[in-house]
Amino acid sequence: MPRAAWLLRPPGPVPYDAANAAMHRLAERRLTGEIPDTLILLEHPPVFTAGRRAKDDELLWDPASVQARGGIVRKIDRGGSFTFHGPGQLVGYPIIDLGTTPDAGGYLRRLEDVVIGACAELGVSVDRRAEVQTGVWHGDDKVCAIGVRLLRARVTLHGFALNCDTDLSWFAGIVACGLPDRGVTSLSELTGRAIRVEAVRPSVERAFASSFDVAFEDAPDEIVEAFTVAADVA
Amino acid sequence: MTSIQMPQLGETIVEGTILKWLKHEGDAVVRDEALFEISTDKVDTEVPSPVAGTVTKILVDEGATVPVGTIVMEVAEEGAPAVAAAPVAPAPAGAAAADAPPAPAAEPVGVVVASSIPAPVAPVSQPAQVAASVPDRGPRSQILSPLVRRLAREHSLDLGQIAGTGTGGRITKNDVLAVIASGGKTAAAPAVATATAPDLGTAEPAAPPAAAAPPIQLGVGDEAVPMTHIRRAIAEHMLASTQATARAWTLVEVNVDHLVRLRERVKDDFERKHGVKLTYLPMVVRATVDALQAFPDVNARLDGENIVRHRLVNMGIAVSYDAGLIVPVIKGVDGMNTVGVARAIADLAARARAHQLTPDEVQGATFTITNPGPYGSVASVPIINQPNVGILSFDAIVKRAVVVDDAIAIRSMVNISMSWDHRVIDGELATRFLARVRQNLETWDFAEDLGL
Amino acid sequence: MSTQTVESGAAGHGAEPRGKRDDDGQATYLIAIAEALWEEMERDERVYMLGEDIGVYGGAFKVTEGFIDRFGPDRVMDTPIAEETIVGMAVGSAMEGLRPVAEFQYADFMSSGFDEITTVLSRYHYRAGVPLPVVLRAPSGGGVRASSFHSINPEPWYAYAGGIKIMCPAFPSDAKGLLKSAVRDDNPSMFLEHKWIYRRIKEQVPTEPDFLVPISSAAVKREGTDVSVITYGAMVHKALEAAESLAQRGVSAEVVDLRTVYPYDEETVLRSIEKTAHALVLYESYRFLGIGSEVAAMIAEKAFEHLDAPVVRLAPPNVPVPFSPPLEDAFLPQVADIEAAVDRLAAW
Repeated sequence: MPRAAWLLRPPGPVPYDAANAAMHRLAERRLTGEIPDTLILLEHPPVFTAGRRAKDDELLWDPASVQARGGIVRKIDRGGSFTFHGPGQLVGYPIIDLGTTPDAGGYLRRLEDVVIGACAELGVSVDRRAEVQTGVWHGDDKVCAIGVRLLRARVTLHGFALNCDTDLSWFAGIVACGLPDRGVTSLSELTGRAIRVEAVRPSVERAFASSFDVAFEDAPDEIVEAFTVAADVA
Repeated sequence: MTSIQMPQLGETIVEGTILKWLKHEGDAVVRDEALFEISTDKVDTEVPSPVAGTVTKILVDEGATVPVGTIVMEVAEEGAPAVAAAPVAPAPAGAAAADAPPAPAAEPVGVVVASSIPAPVAPVSQPAQVAASVPDRGPRSQILSPLVRRLAREHSLDLGQIAGTGTGGRITKNDVLAVIASGGKTAAAPAVATATAPDLGTAEPAAPPAAAAPPIQLGVGDEAVPMTHIRRAIAEHMLASTQATARAWTLVEVNVDHLVRLRERVKDDFERKHGVKLTYLPMVVRATVDALQAFPDVNARLDGENIVRHRLVNMGIAVSYDAGLIVPVIKGVDGMNTVGVARAIADLAARARAHQLTPDEVQGATFTITNPGPYGSVASVPIINQPNVGILSFDAIVKRAVVVDDAIAIRSMVNISMSWDHRVIDGELATRFLARVRQNLETWDFAEDLGL
Repeated sequence: MSTQTVESGAAGHGAEPRGKRDDDGQATYLIAIAEALWEEMERDERVYMLGEDIGVYGGAFKVTEGFIDRFGPDRVMDTPIAEETIVGMAVGSAMEGLRPVAEFQYADFMSSGFDEITTVLSRYHYRAGVPLPVVLRAPSGGGVRASSFHSINPEPWYAYAGGIKIMCPAFPSDAKGLLKSAVRDDNPSMFLEHKWIYRRIKEQVPTEPDFLVPISSAAVKREGTDVSVITYGAMVHKALEAAESLAQRGVSAEVVDLRTVYPYDEETVLRSIEKTAHALVLYESYRFLGIGSEVAAMIAEKAFEHLDAPVVRLAPPNVPVPFSPPLEDAFLPQVADIEAAVDRLAAW
């Protein structure tokens, strides 16, 4: 019997700061049991986010150049190094309570399964790499980054970022995920056709519902609105 | 006194790094307040306090990386005296029982001249490492047969935790198999041993941990190959389809003699002019499209209590390729002639095999055709491509002796069959549908439609 | 089908063996063997038989009763008591394109032709490239109070030669199918007919002229889960009886009949061991160097990690087969011995 979960699809692109703050607030509410497990699917305007392990020299463009291109840089509380979010990339923030004996490795594997399953539905064969390299790959190229943090060691934050028809030239600005000799790719690049976020989202929703055994309901409007409040921080 | 350990955040996570102490010795803490930030190779998190009280001792420096289970901090609970207690040493995994070799069981040897069966002999020396952790529960509890060792190894079991019901306390094959069958894993991961389990109110139960996959029994020479993701997707779809539909099947025999002769005549010209090979499949598609338009309940899907008849025909064509099976869809095939269908099939099949189909091209079929004929089958029972009502199978064309005008003649015959969903249509309709397909194939003059 | 009798000049009552089944159409092991010989003689003119007393007398055990009337003395040839010559004739005629089936009155006497069998027959193809489709048949085995000159299990001696296929069927259908296969095989074969089984065991036997049992294939005669009993010949019947009794007490024994002892079917044996994890190798040839020694070693080598107990052998000791009935009974593994061995193995 699948459990009920909320599905949020704020119309985008959603500014990063607003989304990040809203996500954290939702996670706190998940912790107290006020709301059910929730999946947020959205796109961001161009942003480089740096995780805890990011080194400054992994941002190859200086902040002025980034701004000139229309992007921003943020240091955030997830693990990992630099990554990029932008239009054409399906970003997913699952807010899941893993309980008091969390299996973070298992959760990450399930996220990978969701992405792999969604891509399989689209006829694209992608896979996970060796144990330690979280994410979803096609050969040596990463098509989906995954980075997670736990709130109070049990509720998940951040999630995955699947390149659909992302402008991959943005990735030249960083040593993506701290791995200099790995490339980045997108579903569009892999298939040679334009694959939009809207085309991929239903497959991701199905795969997520199946992997995590949930039945989605739309989240109440006021929850969705929290994501559309314009950010007041640049 | 509550000891705070480096928490276990996942089965494969073996250590964590203290990034930052958020509370220091002497600080008061309330329940659930974050005590410190950690980073592991999978996730970062802050660790909440299970109790309200005062931090009495910090045992590990910021920046240090310690194994899961290491005590990193002591917190004196409210109301409890703040006495600095010695840290509790983590329990060693598996008790060692290095005893002298047990006395061999005294088995009476049947004194029969004919048959002398050797008494089971206890090992002279202590069996290697595995037995070192097997407690001495009987005179033969240290005897671990090759099979028992192998099963323990393959299933990561700690033999020290399995009770032996064999003679003298020996752990037998059945003892080990019983543990495996009950899904029990004896090798316990060190738990986050806080004094009281934190009560987080009415939180929803967590996502259930992935069920341990049942152990694979391998015979001599067998090999286990994990399913690819596409294979799994196919498996789920097929199973779901079989379970959801009331599947029935009907077959008709079709005389395609004239089609075979037509194709022989024109195939070279066709290929020259249109750039693709002429197979029978486009003709079958055209014949089927007409039948779908004549019997709209077959070009439909079941949605709750409604039979939704589709206005357009989107024909799914099952294609087998290196990763398994995929069904590209010819959208709006009802508007195409045979040449158009032939071109569409060739294009979709080629791009399917090159893994280049778009998402749109593998969705939205209203009916599906499968063509196992090239592989030689003369009749097949395909599984319905959800959410269609039917799937038509077009098998091999074979020359047969048939009766024509009360005489035996040789004709090229083909079996065309359909698996169909009995929830939506009945046998009579299915048969009439197939009869229409047959009539089309047997009577239409495709020559006009080939653009030659 | 009732038994027909036809007058003949022989002391026996010559008739074609296919008329000798009982009223239910069942054939004894002996009749099944006779049917095989008769059918192969009818099928292929090059097949002929030679041996002591097989023609006019119809054979010491009456296997070939009636044959000489049907096939004539050139194809059912009485020989002197000269085993070496019998084998030599078989070898020579096989070189010339015939397909001899040589009978030995008792398997014990085959050793009079030991050199011809092991040095010549077994190795000729290796030396000269000429196939020798020879079948040597003989009644073997004990348990019939025939003592040490008439009770041998000679299969280990001749298996050692390396160039002869050796069959020891336990059931009438297997006997018929294997003998036909042996006659049609271009390699030298030795077909050992256990005399204890001759008239004691009968069953429905196929009548198709091309009914064959593949050489070197074992058969599971009783499925079980706790212990595998790997055996052949008359011991198969004792094992089955023991298995039935064990089943009453909740011990499930699987009985694997090797049927051909050289070369034997390792696959079937190993599959059984994988299932049960316990191996009892039961055989009537001597314990020391008998067929079962080889099977036991193979199991220990190839199924080591499937074993929950040591591989155990049950076989007679290396002594001449006793004449005195109680001594012979003590010499041979009995049903009770088999049960006890299985019990001990299951409880190891």
